[in-house]
Formats: sequence, structure tokens, C-alpha cells
Amino acid sequence: MRRELATVQVGLELPEVGRVVLPGDVKAYADAGGDQNPLHQDEAFARSVGFPGIIAHGMFTMGHLTAAVLAWAGEAEAVTKISAQFRAPVFMGEEIVAGGRVRAIDADAGTATLELWVRVERDGATEWPIKKGEAVVRLA
Amino acid sequence: MNPAAEGTVYPDVTFVVEPERVAAFREVFGQAQGVPPTFVSVAEFSVIPTVVADPNLGLDFSRVVHGSQEYTFERPLREGETLTARTHIDSIRTKGANGFLTIVVELLDPEGGLVCTASAQMIERGQL
Repeated sequence: MRRELATVQVGLELPEVGRVVLPGDVKAYADAGGDQNPLHQDEAFARSVGFPGIIAHGMFTMGHLTAAVLAWAGEAEAVTKISAQFRAPVFMGEEIVAGGRVRAIDADAGTATLELWVRVERDGATEWPIKKGEAVVRLA
Repeated sequence: MNPAAEGTVYPDVTFVVEPERVAAFREVFGQAQGVPPTFVSVAEFSVIPTVVADPNLGLDFSRVVHGSQEYTFERPLREGETLTARTHIDSIRTKGANGFLTIVVELLDPEGGLVCTASAQMIERGQL
């Protein structure tokens, strides 16, 4: 069931959705999605190109963010546009937290535009694996 | 990267929205129904080896990270359907030691109608 337009206002926040990223998750994503870059599976390779360890695919983090948007919107078919900027790596064992906020509503088109992000708490500071994400979602 | 490779169009590739693959993708992200919008990345990864191997482009994939990504849908993908993936290099820019490559993949239905546009910005990091 699609979310109803009447229940949505500008400024409304989506419920945040957290997920701890484990090597098995990243491997499952590589197999399902087709990106077998060793940066996401091989510690020695990741270090050889300047990272302290394996990092998650940007598309894993964006997939988690998209799942959070779909859970809020009510169905996969509701999303007509989604974008993300990848700003920070995600290391194994870290919790990625997806969030968003309604930026605009187009009542004639029956759509809401969301601003989106994914944050990670690392060494006492907030990092932003995804910033300036955006989605356009059809509402009922 | 060779800036003159901007505008390169690669051969069309057939992309089947395989139900088993869609199910595996949904499972990774705990999704109940539908084709996840980011499933289109499977189509992108079916053409990226061709782009990486293009000697005229000269991309060093070992130094590449994903900068940004955008998907725009004319309609949702349907499980089991066969689409055509048409790929071109939309832009190549250099900023400092880093190169910025934007690859656009359009998914077309059998009548040639646009279903989805995927735009990926890749960053080729400068030598360490």
C-alpha cells in the first residue's frame, strides 16, 4: 500500500533505519549485484590502494537507503527517481543509519521529494557515507 | 583517462530482469516485493567491463571509486522482461590529480521506449 499524500507534510522525517555491515552482507551484495571488485572482499588489496581495510560498495549503502525509502513509501513501484553522493567509506562492522526528510510535495503530481542521507558514528564524530541524496516518490 | 573518449557509445547489450536475481537482490536488503530501484546496477555492471577494457578511454579501474549515482524511472522494471542497455560516456573531467567519469546507461523496451536512465559518476583517484 502506497503512503497517502494526506499524511505527509514538508519537514516530516522518515524513521531512521540502521544496519551493521558485515563481510557476508557485502559478499552477498557482490554476488547479487555483479560488482566483484576486490576492494570489497580482499583486505590486502584494500590496503594496497590506501584504505585501512575492506569497504562496502557504495551501492550496498545506497541499496540500504533505498530499502528505507521503500519501507516508508509502501512499495517498490513508488520511486520514480533516486540519487546519492558517496562521501565517506563504510568499514566492516560499522552501523550505517539511513534517514530522510520530506523537502517538497507536489499535490497535482501526487509526489513527494525527499532529501536523504546515510550516517555512521566513527571515533566520536558523525561521517556521511551518503549526503545530498534525493528521491521522488509517488503517493496515493 | 583520455578526455577525447567523451561521447563514446558502446554496443547495445541485452538485459533480462531475471526473477531469481531480483529475489537475491531483495533478500540482501530485506525487501518484500517488487524490483528494487537499485537493481538497475546489475545492468550497469553488465556493461562496465566493456568500458573498463576500452583502450581509447584508458581508465585505471584499480584506482576507481564510486562518486555518485542517479536512477530515473519512466516506469518500474518488470520481473522477467527483456530490455536493451545502451551505454555512453557522458562526460570526462579532471580536477587536481583526480579524473571524473560519468557513464550513462539507458534501459529501453523492445519498442525502443525509455524505461530507466542510470547515471554513474566514477572517480579515478590520483596516484598515491
